[in-house]
Amino acid sequence: MIRHLFTLVWNRKRSNLLIAVEVLLSFIVLSAVTTFAVFYADNYRKPLGFDVDRIWVISAEAHASAGRTSMTVESDGSDKAAAATQADRERIDRRAMMAQLLLALRDLPEVESVAAAAVTPYGGNTWTSDIEIGGRHHRFGMSAGTDDFARTMGLEMLRGRWFTREDDGSAWRPVVVNERVARELFPAKDPVGQFIVEDRQGHAAANPADRMRIVGVIREYRKDGEYAAPENFVFDRVRLDDTRADVADARDIVIRVRPGTTAAFEERAVAVLRNAAPEWTFQAEALSQSRDTALQYWLAPLTAAAVVSLFLLVMVAMGLSGVLWLHVTQRTREVGLRRAKGATAVDIRRQLVGEVVVLTAIATTVGLAILVQFPILEVFSAVSPFVYGVSLAISLVCIYALTMACAWTPARMASVIQPADALRYE
Amino acid sequence: MLRSYLKLAWRVLWRRTFFTVISLFGICFTLVVLMVATAVLDHIFAPIAPEVRQARTLGIYRARMIGDHRSQTSMPGYQLLDTYARNLPGVERMGVYSMAQTVYSYPSGQRITSLLKRTDAEFWRILDFTFLEGGPFTDQDVANSAFVAVINQTTRDRFFGGSPAVGRTLEADGQRFRVIGVVPDVPILRLVGNGDIYAPITTAKTDGYRRQLMSGFGGLLLAKSPADFPGIKAELETRIRAAQLPDKQWQRLFAPAETFFESIAGNLFGGREEERSHPERLWAVIVTAMLLFSLLPAVNLVNLNMSRIMERASEIGVRKAFGASSHTLIGQFIVENLVLTLVGGAAGFGLSALVLRALNTSSLIPHAHFTINIRVFLYGLGLAVFFGLLSGVYPAWRMSRLHPVQALKGASR
Repeated sequence: MIRHLFTLVWNRKRSNLLIAVEVLLSFIVLSAVTTFAVFYADNYRKPLGFDVDRIWVISAEAHASAGRTSMTVESDGSDKAAAATQADRERIDRRAMMAQLLLALRDLPEVESVAAAAVTPYGGNTWTSDIEIGGRHHRFGMSAGTDDFARTMGLEMLRGRWFTREDDGSAWRPVVVNERVARELFPAKDPVGQFIVEDRQGHAAANPADRMRIVGVIREYRKDGEYAAPENFVFDRVRLDDTRADVADARDIVIRVRPGTTAAFEERAVAVLRNAAPEWTFQAEALSQSRDTALQYWLAPLTAAAVVSLFLLVMVAMGLSGVLWLHVTQRTREVGLRRAKGATAVDIRRQLVGEVVVLTAIATTVGLAILVQFPILEVFSAVSPFVYGVSLAISLVCIYALTMACAWTPARMASVIQPADALRYE
Repeated sequence: MLRSYLKLAWRVLWRRTFFTVISLFGICFTLVVLMVATAVLDHIFAPIAPEVRQARTLGIYRARMIGDHRSQTSMPGYQLLDTYARNLPGVERMGVYSMAQTVYSYPSGQRITSLLKRTDAEFWRILDFTFLEGGPFTDQDVANSAFVAVINQTTRDRFFGGSPAVGRTLEADGQRFRVIGVVPDVPILRLVGNGDIYAPITTAKTDGYRRQLMSGFGGLLLAKSPADFPGIKAELETRIRAAQLPDKQWQRLFAPAETFFESIAGNLFGGREEERSHPERLWAVIVTAMLLFSLLPAVNLVNLNMSRIMERASEIGVRKAFGASSHTLIGQFIVENLVLTLVGGAAGFGLSALVLRALNTSSLIPHAHFTINIRVFLYGLGLAVFFGLLSGVYPAWRMSRLHPVQALKGASR
């Protein structure tokens, strides 16, 4: 039966080739969009690592014109601060001012706790660090926070502790890492207390105090939000009373407010800050609000792609059923002959749908051979093989459903052909 | 002759309405997607007001410091532009503007968020704003750090309810400005010209920006003619290569003069150490994406046309039996395909206009002003005609070579 179907498909190879190409292209489009969507859905169900409700983020900028957004810093981890600056003096002053600002905010009745950090969630800022350990390349997302940061953001500690005054006199650079980093670097050992030793030691070789030592492990810190792929993350400690120039700096203030605080809090907080630092510029946003905005930006490309491919598939479906319908009308005599020789209506239907299934099988086999290259070559390393597997399975089901649905009406039309009518002209 | 072809084509269009609708839908939809995509690209790159002198303008939009195993990329700092980009040979005017910064105002308890851009006076001479009210600030205002501001229409509506604003004052980020001019909204994607409030560069809260090599500013260079571009680029490169870097950890500084398109290409495809921009790669990506996208509709169209012509085997047989030559038959099918494509193109044009208008009025992209790019529309239409002809002529040619008797019998394999 199946061999016979292949023969039938082969007999009309010229027109079937075009249909197969069309199915192949649709399959590729469909799996691209489903991979995109499954990737988002898979990320969405993973833990975020911090609280969103009742948290405000205020970015504090020392110079009105020194834009802080859209700055990309790439480093190999040997420089701790976000960017090297020529004016060390200004940095130390800025840190002292930041400490004063936190104190001023703490006095507000609505404030439960307050902290400062380098990279806060949904801010769009990125600080990455590329280092090599034991010949392997590792990339970390980085941030830095004050001692109150974990409590304010509601970070979940899995092992060890967050930074405290204990770290003041330490002979190393204390860091807190997320679970992923701990698992990647120290799969067998307890990560707390371990040093992260780079192959190519920059500053650390010259200054032992620059060696990173893990003091705690947090569950997660997905600063780009729900749809972003989880990444390795490392926290440095921010000491606002530090008088060294080349240590981590904080540019954002995070505030946890008491339950029942209204949006009017924002104006009061900004007024307090402007009063304390008239030369600075402040932008306040409830974290829930910046999350909504950020998620919109994440969803926009997916929505656009989904709308366009939906229209594409509708177009393909209409075209395909039209073409199949014409094929059936051309084959009236063939179908009539089969009916006259005793084939039932169900047989005819099965044959015509079967031909389309064979065509789809050929097209999807070629399609799978192409698409499977993506996970094998790790073209998008953030997308896991699991996501590829699920989305390919979904697209396969969809493409078979689509082509079989397109074949259904023409096949039904063919099955009601009366042998006498069909063969009359012969 | 042509008239009867057209008449016939029209009749054929109506004979199988379902197929006509599918073909039209495909052509129309493909054109709409291509049009919207190019409208967005135009919106970012094309020389639209106020950037009307874009053909003569180079910018310094990005700077990169490179050291051992590290690099830092951002917009250039004021100090870099001030020290190295002034008085370049072949440059008529040189302007500096800051990246638009989000600032808050609380005029009546309610927060208003605006984009504040600080510029020098040359900025207003390089870009060509149409002033709805008042005028730009002058070199004198910048030198005196006068707290004056040019605002856009939206800001006028938000602060003053749309009534005349010149002479009135507004507060932004704790500073009070006197409004001296009102300009139309600039789309938010136009990174050079966008802004809600424009103030003199010297009104910055501190003068710290004057000592920064990196981040926060952009430079505009209006050349006498595009022929001067290579000379300007080379001179700036030489000057910056000789720059003294403030910090030992940085070895090289890099801040090219380039067109806006080149700077985006440089940001997208520039590696860590790579200094050249590759605009041709960005072009290749855009063109490939559009061709790949058109592939599926094209195959669909070819498929439909092939089947439709096969269906008309007996009609072709009759015409051949009555002495029609192959040429005549092919001519007839060309006309039919052209009619179909043109009808689809017209529908696509109308629909694109509607979609773009909907995007303009929605708040999806603030101050958006998408327009139809006629050039791209013609390309898209040309593509549709090409595939239509390809798919129509080939089977027609095959059919026209059939023996009339066979064709009459309906031999369609």
